[in-house]
Amino acid sequence: MGSEGSTVIVPRSFRLLEELERGEKGIGDGTVSYGMDDADDVYMQSWTGTIIGPPNTVHEGRIYQLKLFCSHEYPEKPPNVKFQSRINMSCVNQETGVVEPSLFPMLADWHRDYTMENILTQLKKEMTSPQNRKLTQPPEGNDEGRVDPKGLVLRCCIM
Amino acid sequence: MGVEGESTQTVVDAEINLNIRCSNGNKFSVRATLRSTVVDFKDLLALNCDVPANQQRLIYKGRILKDDQTLDSYGLQADHTIHMVRGAAPTPPPTASAPGAGTVNTPSQGAGANEGIGLGGAGSGAPVFPGLGLGGATNPFGSGFPEFEQVQQQLSQNPNMMREMMNMPSVQNILNNPEIMRSMIMSNPQMREIIDRNPELAHILNDPAILRQTLEAARNPELMREMMRNTDRAMSNIESSPEGFNMLRRMYENVQEPFLNATTTGGNDSGANPFAALLGNQGAVNNPPSTGSETNPGSAAPNSNPLPNPWGGAAGGAQTNAGTRAPNVSGLGGPGLPGLDRPGGMADMSQLMQNPAISQMMQSLLSNPQYMDQIVNQNPQLRSMFDANPQLREMMQNPEILRQLTSPQMMQQMMSLQQLLPQLNQQQSTLGNTQTGATTGAQNNMGLDLLMNMFGGLGGGGLAVPNEPDVPPEQLYATQLSQLQEMGFFDTQENIRALRATQGNVHAAVERLLGNFGP
Repeated sequence: MGSEGSTVIVPRSFRLLEELERGEKGIGDGTVSYGMDDADDVYMQSWTGTIIGPPNTVHEGRIYQLKLFCSHEYPEKPPNVKFQSRINMSCVNQETGVVEPSLFPMLADWHRDYTMENILTQLKKEMTSPQNRKLTQPPEGNDEGRVDPKGLVLRCCIM
Repeated sequence: MGVEGESTQTVVDAEINLNIRCSNGNKFSVRATLRSTVVDFKDLLALNCDVPANQQRLIYKGRILKDDQTLDSYGLQADHTIHMVRGAAPTPPPTASAPGAGTVNTPSQGAGANEGIGLGGAGSGAPVFPGLGLGGATNPFGSGFPEFEQVQQQLSQNPNMMREMMNMPSVQNILNNPEIMRSMIMSNPQMREIIDRNPELAHILNDPAILRQTLEAARNPELMREMMRNTDRAMSNIESSPEGFNMLRRMYENVQEPFLNATTTGGNDSGANPFAALLGNQGAVNNPPSTGSETNPGSAAPNSNPLPNPWGGAAGGAQTNAGTRAPNVSGLGGPGLPGLDRPGGMADMSQLMQNPAISQMMQSLLSNPQYMDQIVNQNPQLRSMFDANPQLREMMQNPEILRQLTSPQMMQQMMSLQQLLPQLNQQQSTLGNTQTGATTGAQNNMGLDLLMNMFGGLGGGGLAVPNEPDVPPEQLYATQLSQLQEMGFFDTQENIRALRATQGNVHAAVERLLGNFGP
């Protein structure tokens, strides 16, 4: 019976609920925590994530906040990912903080099996890459610097 | 066990368990109240790790916790995980390192409190065995099918029915047979593990006298209460002696916890774990207050709620039986075949269904209202059931309902049920082939005997059953399909398959679609 389930496409809401639970309980590889700001958001669109700068890089000790926006097409399409904290990173638009899909293969080559947790983990990994680990960083951007758009925000954190 | 659940619930207001993950990978848990502020919480954490409070940066759900907020304001809940990072320098706003607030306990104190609770649970939850006995009784028809849960609910709402059932000789037969009880219990791997680890438990479970006693208790509310009282008193006696406390704790750790695990790990998938269903629906069998209400004659309201969806899909014979002849089913389908080494009642039921002779009998039975009456009148237990529940009689005499029961959909459902459980094919394919193994054979025979009794005088006239459905499933399950669509399941074919397999129960279909249906 379970075998049939594997062919079934898990609907968006079920998928997001699962991710929510994993974030809250720290299930998974445990270096990720995320949840929704507004538990009343029935569409579960806006999420916020946090990445903690990996050790032995210029990012060490910093906390980066990101905003992830899951459209109705999630998980068919990747979420929009945007750094709220200032960061100098090859795949991040310096002006807007948006993670450019064209520069971040995971978003460009999106699979519906990927989760927001995967994105954050991958971004953290990206920070340790040779072209990113030594980049001079702007003064640590106030984490709450960019104003949260009202209500719907999920933050994830990667340590 | 129910008792323990309650006590933890009252604790939630005061203290909850929170998991902390440090950036270096360390993990630990603390107990704190949600009312405490973040800064107080950091002080508490500072006692448990080497990061001073003013260097801690806490992150939950991606948000950085601010010192002046309360934990509550971030929506923290029990057992959630907070991440902690050591700030690069004491850049965070200076935090007064006030001494640990009174509202916050150190973990060691927390652990102490925990033990207390656990013990309380063990103490009043100790009559595990009454629960088990009753569990055995309800398991066969309570576990597999979602619909059966309804039956079970009705049963627990209707103590008379419960008593009637318990009094049925066939049920008693089964429960008096340690072999069957044991195989029922053993069919749950977790239960088996517990028993393997605690041989003394096995003795208890194998002792028909004890099982009988518990059953007796389940049947008689007075006796039940009396037993509970005795156990509680005994418990408090033990507790007051110095070594007794430790003994109780050991007992709790060795028995109660694994037992709880065994009964709850099925999660919401009752199909996979009969005992979970039991816990869920039977409520706290071990919980004196609710047991009282369960068997309390005072609440013997005749069961007047119609089943939510009794004829929705021909849950086939299974559902039919469930709806209209619950007690009857218990006599034949349920306990008749409980001992097969298959977890879940669905296996039992489908085995029944799978037997062509039986389905034919069902057909002929259901297609003729007179047979129905005849059977009812022939069987004193059934008659008294009907007397107690006039609605049942009404239902059974409603030709419309009977017609629906005999609809081709029902047969189709049975077919899909069979497809669901192909592994059972080898178990039993013909009526004559019941002697597949010593034990199963015996049980099958018992089930068939019961069945024969039930259907006595029918003679089993072979009726040809039309097999093509005259209503397409899209139409039959139109409502359920649109519900599934709304939930986001867009594969109609898959939806129909799931609905068929679950007899139109949307909830169960979703479970199934998500692959949580269990092994």
